[in-house]
Amino acid sequence: MPFLRVLTLVYLFFFGTQAYSQAVKTLNGQVMDVSNSGPLIGASVFWEGYTSQGTITDLDGRFQLSVISLPAKLIISYVGFERSIRVIHERETDKLLKFYLKPEELSLQEVIIQERRPDEQIKNLEIGKASVPIETIKNIPALFGEVDLLRSLQLLPGVQTAGEGTTGLFVRGGSADQNLVQLDGAPVYNASHFFGVFSVFNPDALKKVDLYKGNMPSQFGGRASSLIDVSLREGGRDKIHGEGGIGSISSRLTLDGPLFGKNSSFILSARRTYADLFLKLSSDPNINNNKLNFHDLSGKFSFVLGEKDKLSLSTYQGSDFLGLDNQFGLGWTNWVSSVNWNRVNSESSFFDLQAYHSRYKYRVDFEDRENGFLWKNALSESGIKANWTRIFKKSTTINWGTHHQLYSFAPIDLIPAPESAISPIATQSVQGVLLNLFGGIAHEISPQLSTEAGIRWGVYQQVGKGVQYLYPDGIPDRNIDPSDSVSFGTLEKMKFYQGLEPRLAFRYLINPEFSVKAAFNRNFQYAQIATNSSAGLPIDRWILAGRYVRPVRSDQISLGLFHNFDQNRWEVSLEGYYKDLRNVIDLRNGAQVLFTDRVETEILSGNGWSYGTEFLLRKNTGKTTGWLAYTWSRAWRQIEGISRNQPYNPRFDRPHDVTLVLNHEFSASWTAGLTFLYTTGQAVSFPVGSYVVDNQIVPLYSDFRNTNRFPDYHRMDASITWKNPDKGRKWRGSWNFSVYNLYGRKNPFAYEFRTIFNNDINFSFSDGEVVSARPGVVMTYLFTFLPSLTYNFQF
Amino acid sequence: MIRYAVIFLLSLTLMSCQEEVFLVLDQNEERLPVIEALWTDQGVYNEVKMSLSKNYYDSMDLEIIRDAQVFIRVKSSGRVIPFNFITASNSYRPHPSERARVGETYELNVVWNDKAYQASGMMLAAPIVDSVTWKFEEKRLFREEGFYIKVYGKIPFTADNNYRIRVIENDTLKNQREDYLLFDDTFGLQFFEKGLELGYSFKENDRVRLELYRLNRDAFEYLNQLVNLLFNDGGLFSPPPQNPESNIKAVKGNTPALGFFTVSPILSRTVLIQAKYD
Repeated sequence: MPFLRVLTLVYLFFFGTQAYSQAVKTLNGQVMDVSNSGPLIGASVFWEGYTSQGTITDLDGRFQLSVISLPAKLIISYVGFERSIRVIHERETDKLLKFYLKPEELSLQEVIIQERRPDEQIKNLEIGKASVPIETIKNIPALFGEVDLLRSLQLLPGVQTAGEGTTGLFVRGGSADQNLVQLDGAPVYNASHFFGVFSVFNPDALKKVDLYKGNMPSQFGGRASSLIDVSLREGGRDKIHGEGGIGSISSRLTLDGPLFGKNSSFILSARRTYADLFLKLSSDPNINNNKLNFHDLSGKFSFVLGEKDKLSLSTYQGSDFLGLDNQFGLGWTNWVSSVNWNRVNSESSFFDLQAYHSRYKYRVDFEDRENGFLWKNALSESGIKANWTRIFKKSTTINWGTHHQLYSFAPIDLIPAPESAISPIATQSVQGVLLNLFGGIAHEISPQLSTEAGIRWGVYQQVGKGVQYLYPDGIPDRNIDPSDSVSFGTLEKMKFYQGLEPRLAFRYLINPEFSVKAAFNRNFQYAQIATNSSAGLPIDRWILAGRYVRPVRSDQISLGLFHNFDQNRWEVSLEGYYKDLRNVIDLRNGAQVLFTDRVETEILSGNGWSYGTEFLLRKNTGKTTGWLAYTWSRAWRQIEGISRNQPYNPRFDRPHDVTLVLNHEFSASWTAGLTFLYTTGQAVSFPVGSYVVDNQIVPLYSDFRNTNRFPDYHRMDASITWKNPDKGRKWRGSWNFSVYNLYGRKNPFAYEFRTIFNNDINFSFSDGEVVSARPGVVMTYLFTFLPSLTYNFQF
Repeated sequence: MIRYAVIFLLSLTLMSCQEEVFLVLDQNEERLPVIEALWTDQGVYNEVKMSLSKNYYDSMDLEIIRDAQVFIRVKSSGRVIPFNFITASNSYRPHPSERARVGETYELNVVWNDKAYQASGMMLAAPIVDSVTWKFEEKRLFREEGFYIKVYGKIPFTADNNYRIRVIENDTLKNQREDYLLFDDTFGLQFFEKGLELGYSFKENDRVRLELYRLNRDAFEYLNQLVNLLFNDGGLFSPPPQNPESNIKAVKGNTPALGFFTVSPILSRTVLIQAKYD
């Protein structure tokens, strides 16, 4: 990769003067959990009196720390474990030191919201990144008591939700399909259960989640707006542990432990809802014949192959099913697997190799002798990624690698039932190959100034087997038949795109408690959903970039001020951003995209932009923790054929967004959580009149989209957890009682503008004669004062 | 189908509640003309209705436009067919002997105040309806118990397959949003030969008249968009509401017209549901 070499040399020429300073003697160590000898990742390691010059342990629990004048006290701290303080002598600096931390009798995990170095946000180069520890997510009051990762991320500044009860994320003005949700490196194409009410991640199986909403490292790409990087945790290596919960609508169980001795481990996790069991209790056959459930299974197997190598296999499988009267069934399934090989070549050289496969499919069955059918579709992404990392003199880190992706979208098949009178449908399959080369360099120019630069070069080729339609004047029009079509054989080239994605970030340390950061980030996205509704459906149609649909391009510039105070107990940040989006799509009025090969005739294309300011005040330690966030932001789209070609706000444009998350430990037994949200109402279109046509009273809409607003949204949730700290070393249980929407606010989910007969919104024509009809507005709202009880346990 | 699934899911599991509310709504500065024109091969059906849009909450009667100049021009010959306002029907009608002929293209012209509108459509040949039957059916998914009508016929066309069936039950047009019966050849047309079952049940002694229309694509899409709009619940799963795209264009003035122009043959059949013949 000569280009990367040149880039590196140029970079070092300008910024590398400090890189070759005098070598510093380092202390090498490894931090482990004394109970299972498992590595503790992210433990803080620092010399007494030098808290701001410490380091954190890596994936193997290892660390390197510059040696100061010895002997000196080395302090190691990790959430939920007792702090280790050990005097280090000169003679010990030549060998690898091992530190075993003991779990605290009363875990403090519930009250600490950061598993990272206290001054991390000041020192690092990350801007627009948010990490929420899983333990924090578990303490946030939850809908139905179901702890939900994606819904928790909605509480962060810069992240909007489509509406009540949905897990879709809209990050800094980007749409939901512009988020790359990945589990141990493999993408998840539909990250929700129950039509978006719950996300697919079982919190007990997770280690951490990182949300990149601004500057994304060059080894990641493929989506225009954000990266949600979810990691499964590894099992312990000493003995079998268990964790689980019994909730209002689902139960879950996680087991982990050694697999084949001390050098390998497993974790298996399962969750299933039992809403359909409640349905069976009904005496009404219209209800008890129905099914409604989801489950997910996840597992991770880790193997230490030697001093330098580690292999892990991760897999997730989750399904939803909705069945009506044994005649109609709608089900969808995600199956995501990845293999990761991590190699430590030396103390300054690392190599990671990853292969993954992600498959999503849905299936609709309708048993009917007249119109019965089976309708199914599947899509998959396979990939392999290699990443090399070298550290030079501790002040410069270089990484480079390659990422190859194969998109394969199967035909949409509609197969009539044997006696059915409808005809079969099969669309063409669509494939694409994306080859990415990436490289990056992080360099500390001076103690004050650090910088990180990266570039990702994506080379995309849509390939056969497939068909390309040609239109008169080259313009797809659903009312005009194609003038010609071209068939392509397997792997035959159909359409080519390429793009460079530069990333650049700076951090300037004004003082140990205050830093300024800036970043620029470009991303291309080659697969997107053709939809114009705000919430995703399982049958959403993904389309690949091709002759008529160009890849989405996103440019984002961001600037942030970061300040810690009161000995890093408090963090405060202020970030601003501007994002420019090109080639975003929407659908024509009345578009039908599900069963057509000519999707391009249903699509409108244009641009978008968004901007905003995000404020975050966060308290990390102590009995009371949490954060207060305020976001002011705007999102815009301008697409020819919509809103008279004028800019308009998408539904998720909500200028003001306030979030308060609090957690308080009253005693060793009692903990409470409180969440408050306030946002501007969704941008929507209300009628400006009505008219009669075809014997219908029809609401009349303005040509301009989303010029109205729902009322402001606000809600408070609360939870309280009780556990007996003195009971059960082998079995520890806790009860969690939570209330969603504590004060019963009727936040609108939808306004329906329809004719109301006989002054009764529930009037049915089977109820009797119609004596009056008038236009009206019917509001639908969800979840007013919804209590739930969950029992959680560990053994 | 997915609509049913979503409605079911939302109502059953999400504990949704509904209530009527009053929202302060913007008002259109201008009341827009609504033109609903039907031009068929049967003179009694041919008419143009014109009215004005109104404020959303306004429950007063429609304001009918009675002073427009309305005519249809035969594109091939340039012949003009005038329409006159008939008070009894509150619509404009041509001479009863005037009707559309297969293969001809017709241009609707409406002149009102300082505005003029045009639309055009081609008269297509009608498909073949062989028979109409009925049968008693037990309760099924999405279907209640009752008599169900099947239409048997043949559609020999490879293009312009856009159809609508209107159902008049005991002299009352079934005109709720659930009652629209629109189909094209997306799922083939074999079902028409095997018997197309109407989606609603009838009772014994019901007299049912069916009207089958073969529409131009723009009129068919207008109706599809209209039905989607009528079902739009304003929620997250619905697309942003938009007015159906009219095939009537303003040729003078900047005020758009609402409504649509239909040129279609009509095949009609009437059946009397009698259990003894089931």
